[in-house]
Amino acid sequence: MKKFTYRPEAQYNDTISADGSIQPHWQYVLKGLSAMGADAFRERQNKAERILRDDGATYNVYSEQQSQDQSWKLDLVPSVIASSEWAKIESGLIERAELFNLLLRDLYGSKELLRTGVIPPEALFLHRGFLRPCHGVFLPGEQQLILHATDLVKNEGEYCVLTDRTQSPSGAGYALENRTVMSRVLPSLYRDSNVHRLATYFQKLRTTLTSLCTTQDQPRVVVLTPGPHNEAYFEHAYLANYLGFHLVQSGDLIVRNGYVWMKSFDSLSRVDVILRRVDDSYCDPVELRGDSQLGVPNLLEVARAGRVVIANPLGSGVLENPVFLKYLPAISQALLGREPRLRSVETLWLGDEHDLHRVLNNVDQWVIKPIYRGSGQRSQLVAELDASAKNDLLATLKDQGHNYVAQPLLNAGHLPCFVGEQLVPRPGILRSFSVAYERSYSVMPGGLTRVAAELSRFTISNQAGAFSKDTWVVASEPERTSIAPLPGQPTSMRDADTISLPSRVVENLFWMGRYAERAEASMRLLRTVFILLNAEEPVSPRVREILLVAVSEIMDLVPSFKGAKPELIQNPGDELLRAISDGTRLGSVRSNLNAMLYCSDESKELLSSDTLRVINDVRDALQALDNDFKDGGSSAPEEALDPLVTALMALSGLSQESMLRGVGWRFMQIGRRLERSVQTSCLIEQLLGDEANEQDQSILIQALLMTLENLISYRRRYRARMGVQSSLDLVMLDTSNPRSLLFQLNEMTEHLQALPHKTEVRHEIALEERCALEARTLVQLSQLKALSTRTNGERAHLKKQLAKLRDLMAVASQAVSDKYFDHKTSSQQLVRSAAGE
Amino acid sequence: MLYRVCHITEYLYAQPVSQCYNLAHIIPRTSHRQKCMSTDISVTPNVASKSIRDDYFGNRAYHFEIQRAHEKLILKATSKVETRAQLFNAKLDAGTTCEDAIRQVKYGSESDCIFAREFLLDSPMIKVNEALRAYAAPLFTPKKPLLQAALELTQKIFKEFTYCSEATTIATPLDEVLKNKKGVCQDFAHLQIACLRALGIPAKYVSGYLETLPPPGQEKLVGSDASHAWLSVFCPGQGWVEFDPTNNCIVGDQHILTAWGRDYYDVTPLKGVIFGGGESPVMNVSVDVARL
Repeated sequence: MKKFTYRPEAQYNDTISADGSIQPHWQYVLKGLSAMGADAFRERQNKAERILRDDGATYNVYSEQQSQDQSWKLDLVPSVIASSEWAKIESGLIERAELFNLLLRDLYGSKELLRTGVIPPEALFLHRGFLRPCHGVFLPGEQQLILHATDLVKNEGEYCVLTDRTQSPSGAGYALENRTVMSRVLPSLYRDSNVHRLATYFQKLRTTLTSLCTTQDQPRVVVLTPGPHNEAYFEHAYLANYLGFHLVQSGDLIVRNGYVWMKSFDSLSRVDVILRRVDDSYCDPVELRGDSQLGVPNLLEVARAGRVVIANPLGSGVLENPVFLKYLPAISQALLGREPRLRSVETLWLGDEHDLHRVLNNVDQWVIKPIYRGSGQRSQLVAELDASAKNDLLATLKDQGHNYVAQPLLNAGHLPCFVGEQLVPRPGILRSFSVAYERSYSVMPGGLTRVAAELSRFTISNQAGAFSKDTWVVASEPERTSIAPLPGQPTSMRDADTISLPSRVVENLFWMGRYAERAEASMRLLRTVFILLNAEEPVSPRVREILLVAVSEIMDLVPSFKGAKPELIQNPGDELLRAISDGTRLGSVRSNLNAMLYCSDESKELLSSDTLRVINDVRDALQALDNDFKDGGSSAPEEALDPLVTALMALSGLSQESMLRGVGWRFMQIGRRLERSVQTSCLIEQLLGDEANEQDQSILIQALLMTLENLISYRRRYRARMGVQSSLDLVMLDTSNPRSLLFQLNEMTEHLQALPHKTEVRHEIALEERCALEARTLVQLSQLKALSTRTNGERAHLKKQLAKLRDLMAVASQAVSDKYFDHKTSSQQLVRSAAGE
Repeated sequence: MLYRVCHITEYLYAQPVSQCYNLAHIIPRTSHRQKCMSTDISVTPNVASKSIRDDYFGNRAYHFEIQRAHEKLILKATSKVETRAQLFNAKLDAGTTCEDAIRQVKYGSESDCIFAREFLLDSPMIKVNEALRAYAAPLFTPKKPLLQAALELTQKIFKEFTYCSEATTIATPLDEVLKNKKGVCQDFAHLQIACLRALGIPAKYVSGYLETLPPPGQEKLVGSDASHAWLSVFCPGQGWVEFDPTNNCIVGDQHILTAWGRDYYDVTPLKGVIFGGGESPVMNVSVDVARL
C-alpha cells in the first residue's frame, strides 16, 4: 500500500498548532485518510468525479471559447473547522449580515450615513451597483438583505473577510453537492467525524422565501436564472429542485395588470416570490438596463407596489462595493454602536487623496481592485505586472482612482490537498452563506471552500482553475438531530405546481422527445445501411441506390444521394460519416443530438438523476464517435453507432420508467410518438414505395424490418420469404409491435386526451386530436392488398397514404405548438440608449 | 404665471406592437418656484394598468402598460402649472465666489453640499474631460462670484454655438458637440453641465417647456413647440439656480419645468420596452403652451 503523509511547513498552516503538532480537530480526518492509502484514495477521488459528472455538476468558465461543460472539481480532503472556532465565526457572520442589512436600508432610504459624513457621498453615488430607481423600494419587514455570503481567509490565525456577496450569492448549491458526494464516497469517515449538517440551512432558506409573501397561504416561489449558458446554471437547477421551486427564465415571466405571472402551457400563474440569480441591473429593461434581454419589463414597478418580493432585492449589489470596507468600522459604530467582531481586509480607497498617496508610495505590495465587478475588470497584484502594464495601471489610478481600492495581499491559511499521490498544502478561501431567518440570520455550518490550483496563485477563483472542498465543522460530540425532521430528499412541489409547468419547459420536453427519436431513427437506418452495404454478398446497384436515397430523404440531408453521381453512390462512406458526425450539417445525427441536449439542459430540473446520467452517456458516446471516425472511419462503422443507440434507448426507457407521469412527461411522449410515426412512415415509403424485383424486394423488406427491429419477430411469425403485405401488417397495423404506426398513433391520442382541456368547449375535438384521430382511422382502415399493389413501377396508393399521414402529423405538431407553447416576440427599447446605469 | 401645457407624443410602428411597458416623465414636478395644479393623461390604445409615483429625484414618473396589439401609440398629457421667477437676488455680482463655492462643495458638511456632490460625478450621458474643463476654466476665476461666472458661461455657449436640429442626435458625444459648435437645447445643457462639473461645480439637467409667445418688442425664443432643456447650478449659500444656454438667460417664469436629473437619461420623456413593432418607429411630438 502506497502511504501518503502530510508534512507542511508550519507557516500559514491551518492544520498545525503553534507547537508544531497537528491540531486536534484535524487529527481524526488526517489519520483516517492516510490509513486509507494513496491508491484507495485515488479510487475514491475517481468515484467522486464520476458522481459529480453524473449529477451534471458543472461550472462553465467564461474564458472558454465555446461554453463547454466544465465538471465541478472537488478535492476529497475536507477543510476541517472545530465547532468552538466556528461558533466565533458564526456570530461574527450573523452580526455582519445584520450590519449589511441596516446599511442597505440606509443607502436606499434616508442616507443618514451620508448626511452625517460617515460615508463620503461618492462612495455611494459613483458605484454602478447603486440603482437609483430602487430608492425607497423595501421588502415587507425589517430584513432587506435575505442572502449574504462572504469570502473569508484565515490569516495569522484569525478569519478575515475579503469580500461580501450580496447581489445573488452563488455557491450554496455547490456546497450541498460537495457534501452529498463526500457522504457517499467517504461514508464512514464522514459519519464518524460528527460533521454539522447543511440541510437546516436550506430548510430555513425555504421557510424564509415562502414567508416573504404575506398575502398568500401557499405562495408561488420561483428561481429566476439567466439560462443554461450561465456558468452556475447547474446550481440554479439544483437549488430549484432541492427547494421544490420552479426554475424560470425571463421569458417565462410576464408582468400584467400589476402582478408577475409565470407563463404556464395552459394559463398564467401568479408569482409571489422570486429568488433571483440574474444580476439586478438586468432585471427590468424599463427602469434598469434597457438593453437587457434577461429581465422582465416592469418587474421593479411590481416590486415597488409590494406585489412581488425579490430576494435579494434589486439594488442590493451596491453592498459589494469594497469602498464600504474602508468605512465599515465607522458604519458599524453608527448603526450598531460597536465595531464589527469579524475583521475585514484592510482597504484603501484611491478616491481618497491620502489613501492614493499612501498606495503610490509603495505600490508593489498592493492588490488593486475595481470597485465594481464588471466584465474584463480584474484584481491585479501590482508586483506581478510587467513595466508597461504597471505604468498603465498607475496612470489609471491617478486619473480614475475613485474607481479602485487597494488591499494588501493576505497570506491565506494552507489546507492539505490531494495532488498526485501526496497531500500538499494549498491556500484556501471559505465562502460562507447566511440567510435571513426569524428576525436574525442563520449561517450555513461550513460553506464552500476553494483552494488554488497552484501554491503561488494570489487569486483563487473558478476562472483560475481552482478546485473546491467540502467544509466540515466538527463537533466533539455527535450533533443532536432531534430539532426537526430535516428534508434529506428534495421537498415535493405543490400539486398545482407540478401541473403548471412553464410553457418553455414543456416545449423543450416535446422537442427533446422529437429530436431523440429523430436521431435514433437516423442511426437505426444508417446501421442497417452499413451492414447491408458491407455485407458478404453485395446488394444490387438498385438496392444500394434506394438505401442511400432513403438515408437522404429520412435525414433530410443536403446534398442528397438522390440523383448523385455514380462515384458517390459507389463510395458513400465519407458522406455517410459526415451525415453522422458533422454537427454543422442540418439533419445530421450530431446536430439532432445537440438539439436534444440543448432541450434537456432547458428542462434539466424535471429530469431524474438517472436520466441526467444517461444524457451524459449520450454526450460521451457522441464524443467517442469522433475518435472512432477520426481516421476515415472504423472497419465496422455500424458498431460505432451501437453505444449511441443504446444510450438513446436507455433514455427512452427511463423516461417511461422514472419520470413523473405529469404533463411534462406527456409532452415528451407526444413528441416521441409523433416523430416516430413520421420517421416510420417515411422509411416505409422509401423502402417499399417503388417497385423492385423479387430478390431486391426481399432485401429491402429485410432492411425495413431490421431498421425497425422487427426482423426477428417477423421471422418467428412468418418463417416464409419476405412478403410486402405481411411486413406492412407488422409495421403499420400490429398494435402489439411498439414500433408500428398504429401503436404510435394510439399512444399519441391517449397523451393528447390526457392534457388539460379548456372547460368551455367540452365535446368538440381539438385540432391536434382530430389529426391523430384521422391518422389512426386512415391506418386502421388500410387494405393491405390495395397498398401493396403496384402501378407504373410504384405503390402509388401506399405512397399517398403515408404522405397524408405525415401531413396530418405536421398539422398536429403545429397545433400543439400554437396551443401550448409561448410564441414570444423579442422585445426592443422604445428609445435606444447606449447609456445605462 | 399660470399655464396650460399640452404635450402629445405619438409613435407609429412599422409592425404591430403586441404589448408595451413604458415610463414617462411628462407630468410637471413641483419645485420652489412652480406648482402643478392638475394633469390629465390619456393614452391610446387603452392602458391595461398605470401608476404614478415620485422617483429618486422627486420627479413625477408615469408608468403604463398596454396589452393589446397596436400600430400607433398616442400619449397626451395636459397640465395646469403655476410658475414664478427664481427666488434668488438677481444681482449676481455679490454671491459666493468660485473658489469658496468649490471648496465648500468639496469639504462642506452641510447636507445640501453633501448631496449636491452626486451632481459632480460623471453620469450616463455626461463624461467630463480636459477639453471641456479648459473651455470654461478662464471664466471661473477664483474671486469672481460663481453665479456671475455661470451666466458668462451661458452667454459664451449661446454666442459660440449654433442651434441646429440636424447636427446631433441623442447619442452624439459631447466632444463632437464642442468641436462642431452645433446642437440643440439638450446638447447645450449637457455641455454646460459637463464644463461646470469638470471645474468642481455641481450641475443638474432640467427638462421642461418654454412659453413661445414673444413679449412685445422682443425676439421669439427658440425651443418653441417642443420640449425644452436647460440646467441648474449649485451654489453653496444660494442653492440651485437655473440657466438656459439656448436662450442666453437666467431661467424665469416662462420656463415650465417637468423633471430634473443628472442628465437626459434620468428624465427621458418617454421610454420603455415594446414587443414587436418592426424597424424604425416614427415619433412625432407636439407641445402647446398657453397662458391662462
